[in-house]
Amino acid sequence: MKIFFSLFILVNFLFAGDATIEVVKKADSLPSLAVEDASISYDDTFKLRFFKSLVADLNVISLFNVDRHHRLVNYDDTNVLVENKDMNYVLRYKMFEDDNRALNIEMKLFNRDEEVFSKRYRVNKKNIYMFISHAMAYDINEFMGEPSVEWMKRKVIFARIVAPKKSEIIIADYTLSYQHVIIKGGLDIFPKWANKAQNAFYYTSLDPLKPTLKYVDIKTAKVKNIISSDGMMVCSDVSEDGKSLLLTMARDGQPDIYLYNTVTKKYKRITTYSGIDVNGQFMGNNKIIFISSRLGYPNVFSKRLDTGVVEQMVYYGKSNSSCSAQGHYIVYEARESSNAFSVNTFNLHLISTKTDFIRRLTATGINEFPRFSKDGDAIIFIKNYKSQSAIGIIRLMHNKNYLFPLKSGKIQSMDW
Amino acid sequence: MKSIVLSSVVTALLVFSGCSTKEPAVDNKTEEVASPVAQEVEAVTTETVASENSTINSSTNELSMNAIESKLPTIYFDFDKYNIKPEMQEKIDTAAELGKTKAKSFSIKLEGNCDEWGSDEYNFALGLKRANAVKKALVADGIDASRISMVSYGESNPVCTEHTRECWAKNRRVNFKLLP
Repeated sequence: MKIFFSLFILVNFLFAGDATIEVVKKADSLPSLAVEDASISYDDTFKLRFFKSLVADLNVISLFNVDRHHRLVNYDDTNVLVENKDMNYVLRYKMFEDDNRALNIEMKLFNRDEEVFSKRYRVNKKNIYMFISHAMAYDINEFMGEPSVEWMKRKVIFARIVAPKKSEIIIADYTLSYQHVIIKGGLDIFPKWANKAQNAFYYTSLDPLKPTLKYVDIKTAKVKNIISSDGMMVCSDVSEDGKSLLLTMARDGQPDIYLYNTVTKKYKRITTYSGIDVNGQFMGNNKIIFISSRLGYPNVFSKRLDTGVVEQMVYYGKSNSSCSAQGHYIVYEARESSNAFSVNTFNLHLISTKTDFIRRLTATGINEFPRFSKDGDAIIFIKNYKSQSAIGIIRLMHNKNYLFPLKSGKIQSMDW
Repeated sequence: MKSIVLSSVVTALLVFSGCSTKEPAVDNKTEEVASPVAQEVEAVTTETVASENSTINSSTNELSMNAIESKLPTIYFDFDKYNIKPEMQEKIDTAAELGKTKAKSFSIKLEGNCDEWGSDEYNFALGLKRANAVKKALVADGIDASRISMVSYGESNPVCTEHTRECWAKNRRVNFKLLP
């Protein structure tokens, strides 16, 4: 019995914090939080829009049961509203326009009628209000002493198809509610951030005779040609230091994965299978994972860069055509039905190279483009369900998925 | 076809962090979130390749090129497959015959396409393998490989956008284009 108990403890220790095992953290014991609006400028529509954005962000940090009632109050009232007197926390904020028409926000957080935290924010234009709402949620998360949600402040870059052979590349916040078109007019696809600072990106232009990888410096708007290939060219991943790229190129019509050095400008072929090898992702310094059709259908494999040993990574799913890696975790997209045109369901699954567990992350609809946050804390993806599209955020350690409705057209590819 | 780079986005969210202490304190500094500037910058120069966008001028060469191109077939494929079906082989033979006679002086561009199923990169590779299968068949029929170039458009160039089985079948195809 003792041995069994020790083993039990040991197993618990080993897998504690493993995201492939579902962790329902403090499910019902989350503290309650209400939000009070004390804005003195702006119309009701804008007030409500900001309130919704803030409530969504506060939900995503997964620390509170957030009350969804929009209640108005005076900023300087000492006590919280009577409706909110039983709440653990109350967040009160005031939006006001200054002489330069900039949007200013003051906020304070009450814990049982006692003010515990306060901060002020300012943006030049009110149409980018969502960045303040993300910053407020980020700061409250920091104040609560939880692991950082730095990814809330990161930007998403994506390409969308606007007409046959016409696309746009767009930079957005993590909920895609702010969207800025950065490239338009041609067929430009597969955008990928070039570095951690997100001040440059790569993309593929299909307008030249040969598909060409380009590099854009966002601040100067200078565009550089990097490399071309007949047939196909995709930048699938950028290494941590930004010096190596995993490209899918198709010299002689054969899609394979290549390692490209941005300093020496030399490339090396990594895969040589005669079918399809795509979607290379760095996994540590010495290993990549990729999608290959070597079993007759797309599936996830790994290859060591030193020994060249190839290993099948996934044994579940009938067609696993897309993956993203972070640390020892892999998230992949699996088609659930083998019938090509029945109601098609594509779900996301998470595996770890250290355990045999598979965790299913989504349950319905077509779920695509899974991308890890840089710290591996969250996964962003696109969900299509009943002719509606949404952007989803999965908080792995909190076992929660959040969806934000998406107004843009069909997304071609995305990076976070 | 020109791509325009519109830039200086989100010059990052410049955060001049205010003092945010756990002590109840009125914050006198303000976190500044810079607005994204959208100025229009240089246009990227690209070559014009596609024939449908180029204007038909008086050059008889180009007129005949378009006339021949309209006679070239479209090759269709099965779901998630890139092998040439027997009935499609006949169409390729016809195309190869044209390639050796009337279209002898032109280069051939093969455009691979997919339906909306499957994900980003894999679909592009599938489109390319389809184009490559047609290329191999053309070469077997006696067309010089150096005359043929390929590109995959994945699912970004649909001819049909309804969500039906018939529509998807129309999109799983390889198109022939002629280049001078």
